Amino acid sequence: MAEAQSGGLAAAEKHYSDYGERARGLKSSGKKIIGYLSALCPVEILTAAGVVPVRLKGNVSEAITKADAHVETMVCPFVRNVFDAALKGKYAYLDGIVLPHQCDSIDRTYDVWSYGLEFPYWHFINYPHVTDDPSIEFTREILRIFIGTLEKFTGRRITDGDLAGAVSAHNENRRAMRSLYDLRKEEVPRISGAEMMKVLVAAMSLPVDESTALIRGVTDEVKGRAPGSRAKTARIMLVGDQIDDVALVNAIEGTGAFLVMDDLSTGSKMYWADVDATPDPVQGIVDRYLKKLKFPTTFVAEGSTYSENLEARFGYLRQYLKDFKVDGTILFIYKYCDPYGFEVPAVKSFIESAGTPVLYIEDEYSTSSLGRVKTRIEAFLEMIA
Amino acid sequence: MAEIRKPRALATQAAGKAGRFGRANLAATLRAKEEGKKVAYAYINNAQDEIIRAMDIVPAWGENFAGVCSAKRDAERFLQKAESENFSRSLCTYATCTIGFDMWREELGGEMPPNTPWGGMGRPDMIIGSAQQLCDPRIKWPQATRHYLQDVPVWMGTMYYPPWDPAGDHREQEELYVKYATEELRSLVRFCEKHTGRKMDWDRLDATVELTDRTWDFFIDSYELRKTIPTPMDTGDAMNTMVPLTFNLGTQEALDFYKELYAELKEKIAHRKGVAEDEKYRLVWGAGLPSWFALGDFQYFNEKGAVFPVEVTYRNAEKIERLDLPETRDPLEHIAWRWVRLWTRWFDKARKRPGSLPKVERIIEYMEDYQCDGVVFHSAFSCRSWHAGIIQQEQVLKKVYGDVPTLIMEGDIVDISSYNEVDTRNRIDAFIETLAARKGRR
Amino acid sequence: MQDMGQGDYFAGVDIGSTMTKVVLLGGGKEFSLVGPTGPEHRKLANRVMEEALGLAGIAFSEVTCVVATGYGRINVPFADRQVTEITCHAKGLSSLLPSARTVIDIGGQDCKGIRIENGKVVDFVMNDKCAAGTGRFLEIIAEALGVPLSQMGELSLTAVKPAVISNTCTVFAEQEVISQLSNGESVPNLLAGIHQAIATRIHAMAGKLKIAPDIAITGGGAKNAGLVRALETRFGRPALVPREPLLTGALGAALMGQEIYEKAVRAGSTLARKPRKLGEASFF
Repeated sequence: MAEAQSGGLAAAEKHYSDYGERARGLKSSGKKIIGYLSALCPVEILTAAGVVPVRLKGNVSEAITKADAHVETMVCPFVRNVFDAALKGKYAYLDGIVLPHQCDSIDRTYDVWSYGLEFPYWHFINYPHVTDDPSIEFTREILRIFIGTLEKFTGRRITDGDLAGAVSAHNENRRAMRSLYDLRKEEVPRISGAEMMKVLVAAMSLPVDESTALIRGVTDEVKGRAPGSRAKTARIMLVGDQIDDVALVNAIEGTGAFLVMDDLSTGSKMYWADVDATPDPVQGIVDRYLKKLKFPTTFVAEGSTYSENLEARFGYLRQYLKDFKVDGTILFIYKYCDPYGFEVPAVKSFIESAGTPVLYIEDEYSTSSLGRVKTRIEAFLEMIA
Repeated sequence: MAEIRKPRALATQAAGKAGRFGRANLAATLRAKEEGKKVAYAYINNAQDEIIRAMDIVPAWGENFAGVCSAKRDAERFLQKAESENFSRSLCTYATCTIGFDMWREELGGEMPPNTPWGGMGRPDMIIGSAQQLCDPRIKWPQATRHYLQDVPVWMGTMYYPPWDPAGDHREQEELYVKYATEELRSLVRFCEKHTGRKMDWDRLDATVELTDRTWDFFIDSYELRKTIPTPMDTGDAMNTMVPLTFNLGTQEALDFYKELYAELKEKIAHRKGVAEDEKYRLVWGAGLPSWFALGDFQYFNEKGAVFPVEVTYRNAEKIERLDLPETRDPLEHIAWRWVRLWTRWFDKARKRPGSLPKVERIIEYMEDYQCDGVVFHSAFSCRSWHAGIIQQEQVLKKVYGDVPTLIMEGDIVDISSYNEVDTRNRIDAFIETLAARKGRR
Repeated sequence: MQDMGQGDYFAGVDIGSTMTKVVLLGGGKEFSLVGPTGPEHRKLANRVMEEALGLAGIAFSEVTCVVATGYGRINVPFADRQVTEITCHAKGLSSLLPSARTVIDIGGQDCKGIRIENGKVVDFVMNDKCAAGTGRFLEIIAEALGVPLSQMGELSLTAVKPAVISNTCTVFAEQEVISQLSNGESVPNLLAGIHQAIATRIHAMAGKLKIAPDIAITGGGAKNAGLVRALETRFGRPALVPREPLLTGALGAALMGQEIYEKAVRAGSTLARKPRKLGEASFF
């Protein structure tokens, strides 16, 4: 475990702006780098295999030019953008890609990815969408198959000890990030939403120990800042899937609002809920990714009534609203997204009944319509002021 | 809504009768309560038909209802209702159309919205979903519906099959998937027992499974008669004749329907009666759900001498003997094996041809067996499940099989506002010219 | 403390995609001006403002607070504040029609629905991605049918039976209209059909709000009697239209300026403003 608190916000800025920079460096020193999509990917297993996991992202400021020849435009705009980036060589340093079965946009394009990009290693983790006992058992087998392919690829066994060690390291990483999130509970947070976004993005591109060190470095730096004294303005929570750029965050904070919390697959979904240390490490991993994580793509069956079921699905959001003293929530959902799209009425009404107004925005993974998005956000902030 | 064109003429009488199944299904959902039966919202191709039918549960098929609204060009008001609740227009329009209808029916206290196509669907007692590997919306649709019908219980289970991997052998994982699927089906039986208050009659289930096996056989037998030149039936009709297999599987009526279809096609073949007056081009409908509001486009093809003897869509069955299913006494396990083997049917062929894909192998097999000259795809914007990947299918087909004439049409299943008839017909014309040029060269 | 306005004048500048509107309030009077935005709106904002000041006979320094709104609000360098057109339309409309609780604003390139309670915005919805439901749609159809835009509404009211237009996409709808015209459909019937189609789209958008009476229609589209009638039919109740539908945004902005100033005064502070000069935007 790294001791030095290496770099703070300056380091985060570097990794954010030149995404994958550290991975490229590690690659040239002989490490294997595996890219992955989605917070459903069991990064513990990749770490245990001795490879460096790098979360794939696209670029919201870059127009899709190459992907349209291969992928239909009604596929998730985020998935298309990342594929476009890969086609343009942005991920040439990877040794392989892991795509979990999160949704149709991934499942239905997996062959396009694996046929269209030349990497030695490919794997599709066939996660189920439900969490009953047979599904847990099935997923254990699915993850064992995944482990088998990694063993073959790296040429070395992945022991239970390796897995347990990786679980511990990633739990540590999550704890560190949650401590940083705690600072956002302050009345005048000393870390902005934009800075936080950079840290989140930087963290997902680094090997776990370096990620933890970076987070700790940022936490120390922020704790060293003088207490904020800005007049109180709206405290906002952002809910969505992969948002990995400051453009949207700046649109929110540009009028003086604070972005204090998120329910994003690049944010709190990565860092809340630890993996339990189970005798069979794979069991703890399955439990976290299937049961503890709440994703629109995983069907939550709990509750004997509808309101109990809503509580099981979204109750954690109410806790966020309370803990982070949220004044308003922005629900930012990509067009062409069935899993999030079909939930909008339920999650919107849940958050509203928990006492917070909700702005629902449907957009693409792109800054091209940012002006329109800004108007809506500003009108919303004017409305809740 | 005013009918702007005359309805598409059907080539077979069977296709004309298929509509009755749809109407009868909806009517059954409206009568169920007084007959003491339970209504379940259900979704197609989930391998649940036998369980539902064996328990006398009346299925209400949103996918059929939305298709009917679409064909009658009366879906917009339901889509708008869903839109008013913030369901995006980019979502599956089968779902949003039906959810819009459900919302409206609830607002009216259970009464149907005015002039609902074919009388509408009865309010369900339960919703039987499936997180199968075919379609995401059908995982979210039941849950989204429950927001408006909060007292209705929802079941969700998995039906998976091994994913395609050119470097692997799916048979190594078959048993894992079959075991899982069997347990999920068992869980569904428990759910149905709970909500009907009755126990499953396992003998009846056995008999129903046997019935569905034979229905699959007759379905394929009748469809394979379309290999004849000239073809006695094309995809335009098949979008009707698929109804019993898709919505009435597990009933004697469905089996009888395909026996009748078989006889009718044999008769037509005997008299050399084809779909087109002058059959010039035979095409595979390679992928895509049709635009239900524009089935007349098939007639447009026919008028140009182009026919579709075979389609991929709504042909989710196979002759049982070809699937080589292991013996089992457990009907649920039999269903699971049938499911896994059907959806991995073309994996072996794809592995034998480098660079190929199972979906492409299926198209190639149809091209050869049905002697086709080209392939048409339909890309429906609201359905990622069946339409993402069509571009790749077209590319791979040409790469591994040769420069086959292909056409990708664009539109939607239910949402007519995106459909442009002039544009569509222009594309069809251009494609026909390509086919003509090819044939001229031979 | 910079040059504080001597009189109590408040200015609202609404830079829309097609029209720029200025409203000056003060001395118990209201002055207003409407001019084309044009492609160089950052250059024209100050010109329209100068003209308005001229009309009112006051100097720029007499204006206590300038609030900019609309699509181009960030390009008004002499504005003290920017406020979105949603808040401004609600404010302006409320002051003219206090009973309005649902406002539909039909602009050149977008349309909005706003719910108001006690003069405050409580919910809103916008369509600014697609032309259907906006003034642009009407312009395109006017061109296609050879009818002056200003006459479309009146002409549509003479329809015998509105044509059915099934396409909501502007491009396809235009084709459909031309096609029906060549099949002998009358221009008034087509216009009525188009107005119905637009009203349907707007009604669908507004469906996301919990529509409450009174309904008011504003923006350029409110000057089209045929569209107003079609919307009233869709909503199933009569709608109010302000006297000057183009000005509600700028009026609201000016009123916002007044509110901001009075709030500062009550709090015992001065209005925080950066130094301002009435000139063109020098960068974009």
